[in-house]
Amino acid sequence: MKELKFLLAVWKANLLSAMEYRAAFLSQVIGMLVNNFIYFAIWIIFFDRFKDVRGWGINDMYLTFGVLASSFGLVSMLFGNAFNLSDIISKGRLDYYLSLPRPVLLHAVASRMIASGMGDFTYGFVSYGLSGYFTWDGLLRFVLATLLAATVFVAFLILIQSLAFWLGIMSNLSALALNALLTFGIYPITLFDNYAKLILFTLIPAALMGAVPAEFIRTFTWQSLAELLVGAAAFLFIAVAVFRLGLKRYESGSAIQVEV
Amino acid sequence: MKAFKKYWAIFQITLTNSLAYPGELIGRSLMIIPFMWIFYQLWKVTYAASGSDFINGLSLRDVLWYLMLAETIELGRPPLARTISENVKDGSIAYLLNKPYDFLLYQFSTTIGETIFRALMNAIFGGVVVWWLVGAPEHPEGFIIALPAILGAWILHFCLTVMIGLSAFVVEDVSAFMWIYQKLAFILGGMLIPLDFYPQWLQVIAKALPFSSITYGPARLFVTPTAALFVSVMTVQIIWIVILALVLTFAYRRGVTYLTVNGG
Repeated sequence: MKELKFLLAVWKANLLSAMEYRAAFLSQVIGMLVNNFIYFAIWIIFFDRFKDVRGWGINDMYLTFGVLASSFGLVSMLFGNAFNLSDIISKGRLDYYLSLPRPVLLHAVASRMIASGMGDFTYGFVSYGLSGYFTWDGLLRFVLATLLAATVFVAFLILIQSLAFWLGIMSNLSALALNALLTFGIYPITLFDNYAKLILFTLIPAALMGAVPAEFIRTFTWQSLAELLVGAAAFLFIAVAVFRLGLKRYESGSAIQVEV
Repeated sequence: MKAFKKYWAIFQITLTNSLAYPGELIGRSLMIIPFMWIFYQLWKVTYAASGSDFINGLSLRDVLWYLMLAETIELGRPPLARTISENVKDGSIAYLLNKPYDFLLYQFSTTIGETIFRALMNAIFGGVVVWWLVGAPEHPEGFIIALPAILGAWILHFCLTVMIGLSAFVVEDVSAFMWIYQKLAFILGGMLIPLDFYPQWLQVIAKALPFSSITYGPARLFVTPTAALFVSVMTVQIIWIVILALVLTFAYRRGVTYLTVNGG
């Protein structure tokens, strides 16, 4: 409860800070919404020409892209520093968080808000609305699936970026992992054979951000809910454990810096 | 001639600098591998479903090599608009504007210097993956024939991204403009789907715009290197380069008068 209050205070401060430059904030939110609409037009053209990919049609794309965009947006808004945690580690900027009486990881990843995430988050709901799968109970499942997919996503980011404790500067590897996750998450799951699917549930958990949440939103099944819950809990557990393990190796940057 | 030597020297320095961190260069280029693999999965299934070896005159092998070159052009570009925007935000633009060189030509020399090895590495990694997946390109000579079009694509992209970067003189944060430009280049340039597969009306619009000269033109020339296509691609490119270079020069002259430097 104490940590939740702390998180709410950090998020409020982040929002007020982002809103300080209103024009830039709005341009990022609206720009990202427009960006997603234009990007999705490619899939409209594709499915208009080729109709479906092994039973996967444009409505499934709307749904998958929607839940992926909303979960990506949620993490960008609430845990924006998860995207550059490796930079924070390798440049010795964890000193600031270590010196404060709050959980280091939670404080570090929640200390930044990426304004464009609000555009992604909103777009996801619009995409779901356009998918043809909209129902009111489906909307509740969409919200739950977004939360669980966002948990998988933030855990994956923390896990990959925590490797900086061992590897040092690794912006290329983290960019590669992020791009792979988002690319594989958007594409129809029916494209992949069983070996590829195994990778998409484990090493690059793209299926837990796209196809499985989409399946859960379409029709409630205990199996898809269990896959999401177990996936989110397992990834979060591993990510926190790896971060804590790495933290023992952390060496201070000894630099005087101000976190704003 | 003396002025040309100055920019040639800037180009050479940037080119050499881009090789200073080979691990970084290689790491960044690995991104093309998952992209090409997933494109292969998508188009393999699509061709199998169509029941034909050719769709609109292109085979699966043509499409994969087309996408390899399209991605090479896209991933090889340095983030110029963001760099200019950052220079404006932190005030370091002041140090670029008061030097004895033309700002636009300086940016052009450094951009091309940064692009060459990035693109080359992407072409090598992308080429190896595509070769392994679908075999050698049907017209390997197409790569040589497409080279002038690739250079033209870089010039066109430079004009457009510098214009976006220069908008930082007025609005400071240009990321939204850059995202939208990038996605327009994806859709109207044929980055993920060759324009030949688009509806006829959209093909006509897309082929008339500069985006197709940046991606579709060079990539299509690579897989079908005919004399007629070469003339057509180069003609459209040259027309757009002249138009955009004039607009860019005008925008730069106007933009400098708006510039407010925040420090430095």
